[in-house]
Amino acid sequence: MDADIEAVRGKYLNLDFDENEFFIDPAITTEYARLCGETAERFLDPEHPDFQASPTYIASLSGRRMLPKDFPRFGIGMDAGKAIECFQPVRPGKPITGRSHIHDIFTKTGRSGRMVFVVMRIEFYDQDGNHLANADSRSVQREKSQ
Amino acid sequence: MILDLHTHSIKSDDGRAKVENYCQWIRSKELPIDGFVLTEHRQYDVESDYSTLAEKNGLVILKGSEVETEYGHVLVFGVTEALTRAFDFSRIDLPLAMVIETCEAHGAVPVPCHPGRPRVGMFAHTEELGIPAGVKTVEIYNGGSRENEDQIAIDNAEKLGYRGTGGSDSHIVSHVGRCATEFSADIRDMAALVSALQAGEFNAVTFKH
Amino acid sequence: MTIATIGDVEFGIELPTFEPDTSLATGTRFADLISWDGVRFRDHEGAKKEGFQGAIIPGILNQGYLVAMIHNWAPPAEVVSVDTVFRAPVIADDSHSITGVVTDIDEEDGKVEIDLTVTNDKDETRVFGTAVIRLPT
Repeated sequence: MDADIEAVRGKYLNLDFDENEFFIDPAITTEYARLCGETAERFLDPEHPDFQASPTYIASLSGRRMLPKDFPRFGIGMDAGKAIECFQPVRPGKPITGRSHIHDIFTKTGRSGRMVFVVMRIEFYDQDGNHLANADSRSVQREKSQ
Repeated sequence: MILDLHTHSIKSDDGRAKVENYCQWIRSKELPIDGFVLTEHRQYDVESDYSTLAEKNGLVILKGSEVETEYGHVLVFGVTEALTRAFDFSRIDLPLAMVIETCEAHGAVPVPCHPGRPRVGMFAHTEELGIPAGVKTVEIYNGGSRENEDQIAIDNAEKLGYRGTGGSDSHIVSHVGRCATEFSADIRDMAALVSALQAGEFNAVTFKH
Repeated sequence: MTIATIGDVEFGIELPTFEPDTSLATGTRFADLISWDGVRFRDHEGAKKEGFQGAIIPGILNQGYLVAMIHNWAPPAEVVSVDTVFRAPVIADDSHSITGVVTDIDEEDGKVEIDLTVTNDKDETRVFGTAVIRLPT
C-alpha cells in the first residue's frame, strides 16, 4: 500500500469525526416508505404497535460532514455504492444519534492516476445508547496524474 | 463440455457470491454448464482450494484472473505463481502488449473481456490506440453486457479474425451461467482449458434469453 | 405465496417480480423528501446536460424498492443488511423491474440471503445487490 494512504489510514481509520442528532419524523418516514412501494403496515401506519422507519431510511441521513475536516482531497468524489446493516428498529418520533467514521480506505492505480476508495460509516444509536444500525457510503475519488 | 469462463466471488471487491452458493445454484437450477472459472479482479487467488466443493457437486471449478490494461479488462487463464511475480496484477494501467507477451511466455492465455463496453472494453480504445498486436481471442458474450456491447464484440472479432469466448461476469449467485463457452474436449483442469483455448477448439454460447 | 416463516423458503425460490414506480414525479418527490439537491433528480434535460441519459432515480430509493419488494413477499421479514452496487443509473420514466432469488438459507440463525437485480426494459442490469433477512423459525 502507498505510504501516503497508509498514513491517512493511520490518522483517520475508525476514529469518529462527526456526531449529529436526527429527529426521526413519522410524517417523513411514512412518506418515504410509501414512495419506496412498501406495503407492510409497520412502516406506513404510525398507529401500528411495531411502527418503525423503513430499514433503508437511515441511508438518507447525512452528518454535518461527509469526511473529516482536514481529510485530504484526492479528486472529485463519485458514489460507488451503499450498504446498510440493521440491528434494531429505528422508531419514529424520537431522536437518534449518528456518529461518523472512516471505515476503510484503499486505492487502485491507473494510467490517469490513482483512484482512492473511501468507505464512510455512520453508526446510529438511540437515546439509551443502543446500536441501531450502520449506513456505509462508498465513494471513489479520481486523482489526477502528477 | 460447457464452462462459464468469467465469474467473481466475494474475493473480488464488488463480488457478492459465495462459491458454494454458485455450485448449489447450478445444481438446483439444472443449469446447462459443467463448471466455471473464478476470475477475481486484479488478483490471483492462490490460497483458495475448491477441489472438495467441485467434487461434491460434480462441477469443474478453476481459477484465473481479470487484470486491467490501457485497453480495458483482460481475463487470464493458466496463471502460475511465476506469472504473478512477472507483473503486478493489482495495477489498473498494465500495458496490454506486456500482458500478452508475458502470459504467452508463461503458457497462459489472455482474453480481453467485454470488449464492446465503453471505457473498460478493448474496442473502446482501438480508435485512439490502434489494433493491439497479439490478441487471438476475445470474449464475445458477456452476461453483464448492455445495449449492443456483445454485437460490437462479435462484429469486431469477426472482422479481425479473433475467436470468441463467453462468460457470465457474474458477481451475484443468480447471474452465473448466463453466458459460457462450449468445448469439444473434456476439461478437468487448467492445463486442459489452456490447451483447448490455444487450439481454438471452442464456441461461445449464451443463455441470456 | 407470501412467506411467514423460514420453513416456507426454499433455495432458489424466486420472489414475485416487483415493478417499482420509477416515474420522474416519484423520484423528484423522494429527492425533495430527503433534501437531496440536484437537477439530475428533477429534470430530464438538466440531467442530460450533466451527462446522464435522462433524470435519474436517487440511489437510496433504489435500495428502498428492494426492501419493499422483500416485504411484499415476506411481510414479517426483518432486514439484517442490504448491499447494493450501482452499475448504471436507473433512468426516471423508463420502466424497470426487480427480480429476486433466494441464494442461501441458514435455518439455525433464521437467515435468508437474496440476490436482487434491477433491470430496465432492455433487460440491462442497472443495480444489483444482496440482502440478508431474518424470518421467524
